[in-house]
Amino acid sequence: MKSISRPTAAAIGLTLAAAALAGCSEEAGGTGGGGAEAGGCAPEDVVLVGQVRNESNPYEAAWLDGGDAFAEQVGLSQDRLTYDGDSTKQQEQITQLLAGDTECLVMNILPNGDSDTLPIVEGAQDAGAYLVTQWNKPADVNVTDYSQWLSHITYDGVTSGQQIGDALAEAIGGSGGIIALQGILDTGAAKDRFAGLEASLEENPDVELLDQQTANFSRDEALAVTKTLLTKHGDDIKGIWAANDDMALGALAALEQAGRDDVAVVGIDAVPDALTAIGDGSMTATVSSDGPWQGGIGLAIGYCVATGELSVDDIADEDRAWFAEQFLITGDNVGDFTSPEVDAADFECDNVFSRSQGAIS
Amino acid sequence: MTSPAKADPDVVVPPRPRPRRGVSLLDAGPPIALVVIFAVFAALSSDFRTVGNLQNIMDAAAVLAVVACGITFVLMMGSIDLSVPGVMGASAIAVALLVANNRNGNDWGLLGILVAILLGAGLGLLSGMALVSLRVPSFMTTLGVSAVGLGVATLMFAGVQPNIDDEMLHGWAVHRFLGLAYLTWIAVGCVLVGWLIQRYSRLGRYAYAIGGAEEVLALSGVKVAPYKVAVFTLAGAFYGLAGVMVTSQLSAGLVQAGKGYDFAAITAAVVGGTLLTGGRGGVLHSAVGVLLVTVLTNGLVQVGVSPYWQGGVQGLIVVAAVSAAVLPQRRRNQVTK
Repeated sequence: MKSISRPTAAAIGLTLAAAALAGCSEEAGGTGGGGAEAGGCAPEDVVLVGQVRNESNPYEAAWLDGGDAFAEQVGLSQDRLTYDGDSTKQQEQITQLLAGDTECLVMNILPNGDSDTLPIVEGAQDAGAYLVTQWNKPADVNVTDYSQWLSHITYDGVTSGQQIGDALAEAIGGSGGIIALQGILDTGAAKDRFAGLEASLEENPDVELLDQQTANFSRDEALAVTKTLLTKHGDDIKGIWAANDDMALGALAALEQAGRDDVAVVGIDAVPDALTAIGDGSMTATVSSDGPWQGGIGLAIGYCVATGELSVDDIADEDRAWFAEQFLITGDNVGDFTSPEVDAADFECDNVFSRSQGAIS
Repeated sequence: MTSPAKADPDVVVPPRPRPRRGVSLLDAGPPIALVVIFAVFAALSSDFRTVGNLQNIMDAAAVLAVVACGITFVLMMGSIDLSVPGVMGASAIAVALLVANNRNGNDWGLLGILVAILLGAGLGLLSGMALVSLRVPSFMTTLGVSAVGLGVATLMFAGVQPNIDDEMLHGWAVHRFLGLAYLTWIAVGCVLVGWLIQRYSRLGRYAYAIGGAEEVLALSGVKVAPYKVAVFTLAGAFYGLAGVMVTSQLSAGLVQAGKGYDFAAITAAVVGGTLLTGGRGGVLHSAVGVLLVTVLTNGLVQVGVSPYWQGGVQGLIVVAAVSAAVLPQRRRNQVTK
């Protein structure tokens, strides 16, 4: 007999799955509460792990490079993990990590989405690993409820949306029509950034928002939407506000195809192509969160606590979940950002919270 | 023993495909829907009914039209093709790395474009081979090939966006002939070539026949498998060209170049009257569907529908257009599933 009957196969499959699940939970439970109180790891015993979505994204690759730079600074090396934007894969990697030696494990994690943060946090808490997360966190989860989740860092989209809004208003001489390209409408980033633009419009009453459309953060969609808006509003359009650089680059392509070179374009994220465009004057401004710094800072906070230089109890509550500083890049300062480098001083233990713009409200 | 002449009354005999003479009522549905939607938008918005916006609609439809050309042949066979994002991504990155670009010293020009199209055809061949030799349903094989294509694209991407410096490829999106971008003329050419293949080649006629009644075709001694593989290969070549066109428009090779084009193209084909069950429709039908979808996207922006509403409104109109388009054939009383 060469095949197994279907019920038998199903039973075997279920048994295997159950066994695997039981194995996982036992491992997680077994090491529970490990080095939580320790804080006294020898510097050479600290294990540094940086995890992002993928290295094919220049920003996230730069993030991991920043982690490497910090690791080198303290004479260690960083494990570079990527999960291809796949939540399941991210959780699997974390589970594997936490099943190993977690006593001096420091993790700087970019959760795939808000809902992925909590399992990572609880895993780290049980295993006694030191965790810093960035960007994504459900609003109702408090970092201060956990002793191993040292800090959560994110960026205020309202501020960045307003910064580029103001830069755009200045570029068009303070008056004229603009159009806005929104991101994926049901994401926090898109909402916050657009709220920033609205705040900027209040400050600049002579700038008129002619139209706003979504291009879903996509370069290709932004091209089509911008072309349509250019035929609709024609020469009334003096500027284009885009919620990220990919859409700004799509808008630039549309402007070129329409033979328009009198329109100012701004975006957010500081991707390399946008920096090039700012350098050659075709784009006006973008905002950088400083990826290499993000890659280093999470590891630095964890390293400081693991080695006992910082204590979780001494970290102020407003430094447990905070907005980090972001940088407006225009033609004047673009040179400083084309090959970003980390500053070792940013990662000194009494300096790790120096870029805070305040607690996340 | 029952008499072989006594037919089982429960067995529904599929109606014999009727010979196609001229334009039937069935084919008229989608064009009428196109005209109606166009007229409604033209009445509502003065911005919509300008020459500039017409050019814009044609230009915006170009890439989708080429993808739809390819996918139509697959749908006519009654198969489905979800490999579009992967194939377009791979060919987009490939062409960006082969013509003059900022990543390497290549400057292959037209040859690079040809290689990218062949890469698309190769991935299509892979889908077809997996379908006929491993007997995996096209839904799964093409999904797998899409992942393979995206994988190939990611490997070639290697962390740095390739931007093209090639004047010719870049010019396709910028330069115009008789008011339309070169890319739009390429799309028009594709529709024409697709229609000729469908109408006058054995490949096109067999694709119809396979979708209509594959068993009958096989029983009459036709080896079906090579034609299936050929159809997927042809479709892959169209997707490859579409990937090249996106690269031309954006001046950069993107892994996500084909994102969303799979379902957009299937929607356009179905709206145009190409049935997912196969054996009906064709390239011209799908071209009408592409225009319908593009006019809709453009029109909703032009009349100023809020972006928060557009997705939902667009979906409703598409469903309404499809049901209007299939109304004439309701009497065939096909099972809906």
